[in-house]
Amino acid sequence: MRALNAELSKLFSLPGIWLAFLIGALAPAVIAALDSIVEKEDIIAGVSTRLAEIGYSGLGFGVQGVIILGVLSVSSEYLTESSESGGGQQITTSLTVVPSRPHFLMAKAGAVTVTSILLCMVAMMTTVSATHLILGEYAPAFEASRLIGVVCYWTFTALLAFGITVLTKNGIIPLTVLIINSSVISFSFLLSKITKLAFYLPDRAGIEMFMSFNDESNAIFNRFHTPFTAGLVMLVWVAVFFIVAVIVFHRRDVAA
Amino acid sequence: MLTINNLVKHRGTDKILSGISFKARPGRVTGFLGPNGAGKSSTLRILLGLDHATSGSALINGKPFAELHNPLTTVGAALDGFGAHRMRTGRAHLRWIARAAGLSRSRVEEVLEIVGLTNAAGKRVGSYSLGMGKRLGMAAALLGDPQILVLDEPVNGLDPEGIRWIRTFLRERAQSGNTVLLSSHLMGELAETVDDVVIIHHGKVVADGTLEEVIGNHSTLEEAFFALTSEHAGDVV
Repeated sequence: MRALNAELSKLFSLPGIWLAFLIGALAPAVIAALDSIVEKEDIIAGVSTRLAEIGYSGLGFGVQGVIILGVLSVSSEYLTESSESGGGQQITTSLTVVPSRPHFLMAKAGAVTVTSILLCMVAMMTTVSATHLILGEYAPAFEASRLIGVVCYWTFTALLAFGITVLTKNGIIPLTVLIINSSVISFSFLLSKITKLAFYLPDRAGIEMFMSFNDESNAIFNRFHTPFTAGLVMLVWVAVFFIVAVIVFHRRDVAA
Repeated sequence: MLTINNLVKHRGTDKILSGISFKARPGRVTGFLGPNGAGKSSTLRILLGLDHATSGSALINGKPFAELHNPLTTVGAALDGFGAHRMRTGRAHLRWIARAAGLSRSRVEEVLEIVGLTNAAGKRVGSYSLGMGKRLGMAAALLGDPQILVLDEPVNGLDPEGIRWIRTFLRERAQSGNTVLLSSHLMGELAETVDDVVIIHHGKVVADGTLEEVIGNHSTLEEAFFALTSEHAGDVV
């Protein structure tokens, strides 16, 4: 509990984290608002094909907030100080305070999980408010099951980012790959055109926890998993990365 | 009591340490000396559980670091650098450490006062001078009021007043029965602070004894150091 407390304290005293909070809390609402404005006439006329997606596409995009959170929570430990200050890293302090490495990683992952859930709840509130503000009585009802799917998607994504960064020690690579993957081009989406195995990649499976996939004209957008199996697939990825991260972290010298 | 027993460390094909043994005893300040690359930092990192030994052991009161229940209250350490994220304030840095060790916020203010950093505690660590960063590292080491202090180059970058403060402070800690192990390459400074001296060279102990024993027939500790660590070094004292 103490270690978890300390990790939360570390996260909230890091200025870079506020960027994660800003993106996570506001980007979904902004996208939901833009979506609502574009679709408003169709929705009122009852002919919109995208009603079921309003809000959720924004929430899918807002996952970038927790990607930053997951990456920064680890990369901040390895940020090397200037050479005139001796080139130290915070990780030396962290591990002399919490000597058990699995315990340390669990505490850190716990802090990332708690913060991701809270941030996701804030994002859902801003997103629902934004759609209601613009669509009024025509705003879609947000089902609890799909919103739970969003929370799981955010939390699992944050933990994946966390696990990958433990392996790389540096935030730049995971941050670049994961942000591009969740905003510009989805690699799993491209792969899914070639092989069905791509549906088992964590991000592709993960979005099936809350996206509707009712576009029958395009097979790629068809549902492949049920939301529950989608969650399980992503959870397995998270577990694998976390276990590998614990093993590597346990064996690795801090000086290496 | 710190007990280093036949410590060996290989990294790839490099032999960093080849069988180091020495003790740092309660009530004494032990100076750990050696040229750059001799293996001082590696020894301290293994002692603190940060690096893994290839063989041998480094024990704190008879236990490896990882088995200490709440290490901060047993051993306080300040290694190279500040050990803090540059975007955090000095106070925020000490506060998360205090939380991890179950210590109060008022203890953070106490150690800030002890190391003379109270006025700079609200500034980001990135803006600290080398001396201030050293003081922050010292504050972190003192948070749990430990019986053992392990300090890597504690006086590096301190102004004369800071150096004098460290010297007096460490002497007082030792006199009240605590164990202090410090590495340094400031020979003159070390000679005024330590009781015992361990000198390592190329990953081996070349001298281990009280300050008087290690100086031996040489005029100063510095003379003894160069005699022992030059390429034609003699036998262990």
